[in-house]
Amino acid sequence: MNKMTVEDLKKIKDGRANGKKNWIRVGYSTCGIAAGADEVFATLTEEIKKQNLDVEIKKCGCIGMCYAEPLVEIQTEGLPRVFYGKVDKDTAAKIVEKHIGGKMLLNDRIYQVKLNS
Amino acid sequence: MDKKVFIKDTSAGAKDQTRDFYTAFIDQLRQRKLENSVQLIRVADIGVYNQGIVVRITPDDFLYGHVEPKDIPRIIDESVVGGKRIDSLVCHHVSKQFRIVLRNCGVIDPENIDDYIAADGYQALAKVLTEMTPEQVLDEMKKSGLRGRGGAGYPTWMKWKMTRQAQADRKFMICNGDEGDPGAYMDRSVLEGDPHSVIEGMMIAGYVIGASLGYFYIRAEYPLAIDRIQKAIDQARERGLLGEKIFGTSFSFDLDIRLGAGAFVCGEETALIASIEGKRGYPRPRPPFPSVKGLWEKPTCINNVETLANISAILLRGGDWFSAIGTDTSKGTKVFAVTGKVKNSGLVEVPMGTTLSEIVMDISGGTASKKRVKAVQTGGPSGGMIPEDFLNTPVSYETLQKLGSIMGSGGMIVMDENDCMVDIAKFYLRFCVDESCGKCAPCRIGGTQMLNMLEKISDGTGVSDDIPRLKRVSAAMQNASLCGLGQTAPNPVLSSLLYFEDEYRAHIVDKKCPACRCGALFRYAIIQDKCVNCGLCFRNCPAGAILGDKQSGYTIDEDKCTKCGRCFEVCRLNAIFRG
Repeated sequence: MNKMTVEDLKKIKDGRANGKKNWIRVGYSTCGIAAGADEVFATLTEEIKKQNLDVEIKKCGCIGMCYAEPLVEIQTEGLPRVFYGKVDKDTAAKIVEKHIGGKMLLNDRIYQVKLNS
Repeated sequence: MDKKVFIKDTSAGAKDQTRDFYTAFIDQLRQRKLENSVQLIRVADIGVYNQGIVVRITPDDFLYGHVEPKDIPRIIDESVVGGKRIDSLVCHHVSKQFRIVLRNCGVIDPENIDDYIAADGYQALAKVLTEMTPEQVLDEMKKSGLRGRGGAGYPTWMKWKMTRQAQADRKFMICNGDEGDPGAYMDRSVLEGDPHSVIEGMMIAGYVIGASLGYFYIRAEYPLAIDRIQKAIDQARERGLLGEKIFGTSFSFDLDIRLGAGAFVCGEETALIASIEGKRGYPRPRPPFPSVKGLWEKPTCINNVETLANISAILLRGGDWFSAIGTDTSKGTKVFAVTGKVKNSGLVEVPMGTTLSEIVMDISGGTASKKRVKAVQTGGPSGGMIPEDFLNTPVSYETLQKLGSIMGSGGMIVMDENDCMVDIAKFYLRFCVDESCGKCAPCRIGGTQMLNMLEKISDGTGVSDDIPRLKRVSAAMQNASLCGLGQTAPNPVLSSLLYFEDEYRAHIVDKKCPACRCGALFRYAIIQDKCVNCGLCFRNCPAGAILGDKQSGYTIDEDKCTKCGRCFEVCRLNAIFRG
């Protein structure tokens, strides 16, 4: 690849400006992985594929809430942005089915709510 | 209508009322036939603590605290349906966290350079290389007031300036990622979560000091951090962000990784340099400082991971922006790893000047056991204990030092009533004795002697003279040790003596451990009047120290008892005596 220029930086940034409306971020640092983020990520990916949903999923670092790992942050159109904590395989499947598919927030698993702004 | 109502019982009471409140609330919603248009959600954490039942309504973002079931109709009619705030119920809560260092952690994919670029990554580098001279960068850094986040708090711009002024054919930049304090893992998180921001900081520093090669020194215990930094370096190289003539300018820079093999002393800069050179990780006397004679005898600038993660944000948004955050002498934010007996252990980034109590009680939710906070340990083995009375101290380099502790790299260990100060001091001192490189006598011999005295005290064989003796050896170590490890190793002992001398005396004079941690100074026994012979302790004792059966009752064999406390925990009738 050619050397990057200052303009290239801007191009990359602008190209990302209109990202996907629906996405999932999984905490994937040592703390998350130790708590089982691998399995959670695999389940989420599998379920999204199975249900053919238009959701971007990516592995991120640690947001700092290590007590609630594995953490899954979800942005779904029409819902507030939330962090699900202490997610296991079953919860991961439910997140895809109910939260993303059914647009209903799950009980007892939310550790932080962010407003979309 | 797309209303969501979040509820959580945040009171410190024994029973969580969230579910009962949920039922009551949903009944009221049903009566008004709102159950399909309003979603009620029980959450695991609502972000505030000790505010009774908390209700948060979105998208209006009303936050109500100490809500009673009788308030439900009003909340539904006025706030949920009416969209109006009920002032008398409002719970004032402003998030005290402010993220500069952790701005991208958990937000971007650390293994994807484009994600970092989309979050304004490498913009500061572009600005510095194409629009600023090294002097201008230094000016901006001076304005920002950024001080080293590794512990000592030396102004970063001064370190850069001294290395810049040193004359040599080659200079080096080093990132100190040898994070070794027990309980501290801020740097690991940054390296794992936002590796490019540290790389960008390294490059800007390299440009200012005139280095063309930088080393990451990361401890081998951080395999994922090493992996992610390596991937980030590879990606940056591929894009030409590392290498020759970056952004078409005359600046060339490259990076390499060196692994630390786990010696705590290698976080000390001269020992770290020796380690990179392939020598034994011994510190050497300063001066000459590394900024004059460092790696391979060349001028070298060493910055901590967190310091470097601040750089690009400062240069992008300006030194004035940064210096507006924090206190007079300590600018910007600090990341703390809050661990120990705390409800929410994790990373917290707050502006300097935030109080310890705000960090421990408001952000981290207080102790998990709901017991009183006895003390907070900051600064790792070089730091000290800060007792409950001083929790309202605003955090800065100077205030913590005045209390006999230090800022350190940012470990913060919360202790409750069940922690014994002698035991904690012993833990930290043992850590330093284990990690002492043995080069200088004050650290090697002094540390061991102090540890012996502490062992004696917690075994019940301490004498009153031990306290002045501990202080004397401490003073010798502080004054005569070669490097920071030995100079600061007595700090946990001294600060615990300063605030908790009573506890030492209880061990020495009364032969009692008030927190019941030092095994030789307390015992367990079964209170026969309360015991109903259920046998629970008998079944749970891992040492087989509980004798007897359901007919004849139980007793504890003190010779076999390991003081693990299992029986005390499992007994439902409080029939186990401890003391």
